[in-house]
Amino acid sequence: MLAHIIQNLPQVLIDGLTLGVVYAVVAIGYTMVYGILELINFAHGDVFMTGSFIGATVLFLFMGMGFLTALPALIVFLIVIIIAGIATGLLGVGIERVAYRPLRRKNAPKLIALITSIGISFVLEDSVRFIAELKTGNYIVTAPSIFNHRFTLSAHDWFPFFNNATFQGSFILVLAVTVVMLVSLDLFVNKTKWGMAMRAVAQDRDTASLMTINVNRVISVTFFIGSALGGATGVLFMIQYGTIDPYIGFILGIKAFTAAVLGGIGNIRGAMFGGVMLGLLEMFAAANLSIITHGAMGAEYKDVFAFIILILVLIFKPEGLFGKAVVEKV
Amino acid sequence: MNILEVNHLTKKFGGLTATSDITMNIEKNSITAVIGPNGAGKTTFFNMITAVYKPTSGDILLNGKSLVGLKPHQVSQFGITRTFQNIRLFNDMTVLENVLVGMHQNLKSHWVGTLLQLPHIRRIEENAKIEAYDILKYVGLDKYTNENAGNLAYGAQRRLEIGRAIAAKPKILLLDEPAAGMNPKETDRLTQLIYDLRTKLDVTIILIEHDMKLVMKISDFIYVLDHGELIASGKPEEIRSNKRVIEAYLGKGAVAND
Amino acid sequence: MTSLGALFNKIAESKRNQIILFIAYVLVTGLGLILLPDSTVAFLLLLFSILILYYIDFNLKAKWITGLVILAVIVPFISSFSGSYQTYMEVGTLVGIYCAMALGLNIVVGFAGLLDLGFIAFFAVGAYSYAIFASGQAAKFMPFGHYPLPGGTFWIFILIGAFVAALFGIILGVPVLRVRGDYLAIVTLGFGEIIRILLNNMDHPINITNGSMGIASITPPNFFGISIGSSSQFYYIALCIFLVVIYIVRKLENSKLGRAWKAVRDNEIAAQAMGIPLVKTKLAAFAIGASFSGMMGVVFAAKQMFVDATSFTYLESTIVLVMVILGGMGSVPGVILGAAVVIILRTQVLTNISNWLSSLSATYGIPIPPALSPEKMQLLIFGLLLIIFALYRTQGLIPHKNRKVDVARLERESAELAHKASSGGADS
Repeated sequence: MLAHIIQNLPQVLIDGLTLGVVYAVVAIGYTMVYGILELINFAHGDVFMTGSFIGATVLFLFMGMGFLTALPALIVFLIVIIIAGIATGLLGVGIERVAYRPLRRKNAPKLIALITSIGISFVLEDSVRFIAELKTGNYIVTAPSIFNHRFTLSAHDWFPFFNNATFQGSFILVLAVTVVMLVSLDLFVNKTKWGMAMRAVAQDRDTASLMTINVNRVISVTFFIGSALGGATGVLFMIQYGTIDPYIGFILGIKAFTAAVLGGIGNIRGAMFGGVMLGLLEMFAAANLSIITHGAMGAEYKDVFAFIILILVLIFKPEGLFGKAVVEKV
Repeated sequence: MNILEVNHLTKKFGGLTATSDITMNIEKNSITAVIGPNGAGKTTFFNMITAVYKPTSGDILLNGKSLVGLKPHQVSQFGITRTFQNIRLFNDMTVLENVLVGMHQNLKSHWVGTLLQLPHIRRIEENAKIEAYDILKYVGLDKYTNENAGNLAYGAQRRLEIGRAIAAKPKILLLDEPAAGMNPKETDRLTQLIYDLRTKLDVTIILIEHDMKLVMKISDFIYVLDHGELIASGKPEEIRSNKRVIEAYLGKGAVAND
Repeated sequence: MTSLGALFNKIAESKRNQIILFIAYVLVTGLGLILLPDSTVAFLLLLFSILILYYIDFNLKAKWITGLVILAVIVPFISSFSGSYQTYMEVGTLVGIYCAMALGLNIVVGFAGLLDLGFIAFFAVGAYSYAIFASGQAAKFMPFGHYPLPGGTFWIFILIGAFVAALFGIILGVPVLRVRGDYLAIVTLGFGEIIRILLNNMDHPINITNGSMGIASITPPNFFGISIGSSSQFYYIALCIFLVVIYIVRKLENSKLGRAWKAVRDNEIAAQAMGIPLVKTKLAAFAIGASFSGMMGVVFAAKQMFVDATSFTYLESTIVLVMVILGGMGSVPGVILGAAVVIILRTQVLTNISNWLSSLSATYGIPIPPALSPEKMQLLIFGLLLIIFALYRTQGLIPHKNRKVDVARLERESAELAHKASSGGADS
C-alpha cells in the first residue's frame, strides 16, 4: 500500500501544486477582504468564475480574429489575463459599491452583509449562465486549448521507487504566473504606500480614517486587487482544466476560504501557504483515499475531506497556522 | 468579612501587561470604587472577575471559592453581575424583556413546560413579569416597559443596565462607569439608586467611575490603578491627599476640577 | 384616486364592513376558482385571504378559527371542483412543508442570530430516515427486521425524523457553535455539502442510501387502513404539522428559552454576563430548528415516494433562507408569508410565465431563447431578492414586533402582590 502511495507521489505533487496555487490566489481575495471588513465575501468564488468566462470570451474573440495563429500563444495569454483581471477587478469594486458600502454606512449587522454577498454570488452565477447559454446554447464552455503540450517528468529514472508523472505546458504557466502574482502582491502590501494604508485600515478603521487615510478608497483598492487576482486565476483555471461552467466558483470558493482560514484569516502569506497545502492534501486524498480505505471511500470524498479540514481548523486552531488570536474588545 | 478577595491578579495580552499583581479585599455590603486614568486596566480587571478574560496569573475568590476557570455565565450564577462601559443592552428586545433576561438564571421555567402550558410554569412566567415590572419602577423606567431598549435615551439605557443586573439578584454588582454621559441631575438619581441598592437589596457594589465627586461621596473604600498597577488604596479622604494618586492624575486635569 | 382611498378607509374603519368585505373576497375568489378554466390566479388570491385576515381588526381567537376553516375546509373543498385539484393541493402541501422548515430556520437565524447555510441537511436526514426504512433499502444492511416497514409507522417516523434531525443538529452544533459567528455560515455550508455527498455515495462499502440512484418505491403512509397517496391527503398532514410548529414557535418565542435566544442574538457578551450559557442556548436553537425540518423531511419522502441527494442542494438551503429574509427575520407571520411567496413563485408563477412565453413565441413566431426561460432564472431572482431585501428592507415583508405586555394589568397585579405581602407580613 505504502509503495503504491509513494509511486504516485510525483503526479500527486504536480496536480496538488497546480490546484494549490489556484486556491492560494483565490484565498488571498477572501483574506484581504476579511482582514479589512471582517466579511466573508461569498461572491468572491463567483468573481473567479466570472474571470474564467471573461477570459474564455476574449480568447474566442481572438480566435475568431485569427490572433491565435498570428501571435505567439504567450502574448495572447498575457493580453487575455490582463483584460480578465481588469474586468473582474472593476466588477469587485462595483460589488463593493453596490452591496457592501451602503450596509457599512448603515452600520448593519454582519449577518446582513453575509446575506447580500450570497445574493451577489447567485446573481453572478445566473448572469454568466444566462449569457453563456444565450451565446453558445450551453452553459458548459470548453475553452480553446493552448499550452496543452504534454510533458513527462521522468521521476522514475532518477528515483526508481517513483512512477513517472505527466503535466501540461499550462502547468508551468500557472505556476509561473501565480508566483509572479503572489510575489508582486506581497511587495505591494508590504512596501508601498497603498499597501501600508491597507494594513492600517485592516488594523483599525477608525484610527486610520483619523490619519487622513481615505478608508473607502482603500477598501475599493482592496476589492480591486483581490478580485483582479481572483479573475486572473479564473483564466489560469480555464487554460489548465479546459472546461468551465458557472458553478465552478462555489465549491472552489469554499475551499479557497478554507485555505485562507488554514493560513490564518487576514494573513496574506498564510493564505498562500494554506492554499498550496490544501491543494496538495486534496490531491493526495483524491489519489489515495481509495487505497487507504480499501475501496470504501474514493475520490468523491475529496470535498468532504476539505470541509473536515475547515471544521477541524476552526475548532482547534481558529486563528489558523499563522494568524494571531483575536481578543474581542469588551 | 470579605466577600471578594483578589490575589496578585495579572493579565498580559501578548507583550502588553494590562494589569499586574493586583490584590484587593472587598468587604461585604460595601461600596468600593476602582479609579485611575484611562488605560489603567480597570475594565480589564472587571473582565477578569466576570470571566470574560482569563487571568494570566493570580486568583479571584468569592467567599473563599475560586472563580478562575469558570465560564462567564457560571460567574453570573455564582452571584456576580455587571454593567458595561459601552452599554450592552439587548437592543431589539423590549425594556421589560431585558429585565426578564436578567432574571434568567433564577427562573425555574423549562421550555418543555412552556410548550405543555403547565400551570405552575405559567404562574412562574407571570410572576416574573410582575417582578420585572417592579424592578422597572424601581429604576424609574416603568413608562418605557414595552419600548425597545435600543430606542431609550442614554441615561435611561444606563439605568436599564443596572435594572437588568439587579434582576439577577447578585451578591456583588460591578458597575462600569455608570455615570458616564449623565447630567448632574441624572447623576444624583444614580447616587441615590446605588445607596438604595446597598441598603435595601444587600448588595456589595464595586464601581469604576471617572466622576470624582460621585466617587468621593459614595465609596467606603477606593482602589487606584495606574498603568495596570495598584498605586494606592484607602478611604476617600486618604486617597484625596495621596501624592501618587495626584501625580497619576496630573496633566489629565481630573483632580483640578474637583 | 385620493377620494377612492378615503372611501376605502372609511369602509375599512368599521369592523362589520371589514368582515363583510372579507367574506365577499373569499366568495369571489372561491367562485373564480370554480368557474374559471385556468384558475391559478383565483387559487392564489384565495390563499391570499389568509394574509388579509392577518391584518383585519378581529380578535385573535376568531382570526385563528377563521383561518383554520379557510385552510382546512374552504380551500380544499372549493379546489376540488377545479380541474387542477391535485396540483393545487400539491402546492398547498409544499407551502406547508416549507413554512414549517422556514419557521425552523427562523429560530436559528431570526431568534438566535446564527446564519445556517446548510439547513436543508436536516430535511434530508428526516427524508432519508423514512425512505430507508419504509422501502426495501433497509433490508440491504439491517441484520434484523422485515422491510419495508408498513405505512402505519409513518406517524411514528414523523417523531423519529424530528428526533434524528435534532440529533444531527446537536452533532453539528457541539463542535461548530464554539466558532465565531461569521465562520458559522461557512461551516454549516460545508456540513450541508458533506451530508449531500455522503448521501450520494453511501452505497458502498455498505449500501445505506443507495447512492446516486436514490431510494424508490417508498411505502405511502397508512391512516387506519387508508393508504395515503394523493396530494389532497398529504395536504392535511402538512397542515397539521404546520399548525403544531406554529404553536411551538409562538410559545417558545416568549418563553425563557426564546428570550435567551434573542439575548444571545443581540449581545453575546451581555447575555453571558446575565447567566445565559452560550453554547447550550445555541444548541437548543439548532436542535429545535432542525427537528421541524426533519419532520417535514419525512412527509416529503412519503409524498414523493422517492428521494435522492439532488433535492438537498445548497440552492435549497438558500431558498429556505430567502423565505426567512423575505418574510422578516424573527417574524413568525412574516416567515410564513415568505415561504408561501417563494413556493408559489417557484411552482406556479415562474412556470406559468415560462409557459406563457413559450406559447407566445409559438403563436407569434418570436424566438425566445430557452436560456431566458424564467423557470431557469431562479438563482437570479432569489439572489436579487436577497440583495434587495438585505439592503433596502432588512426587516422583511412583515417586520418582527416584540409582544407587548399589558402594563395596566402588571401595575394592578404588582399592587395586589405588594398589598398581600404587607398584610401577610402583618399577620405573622
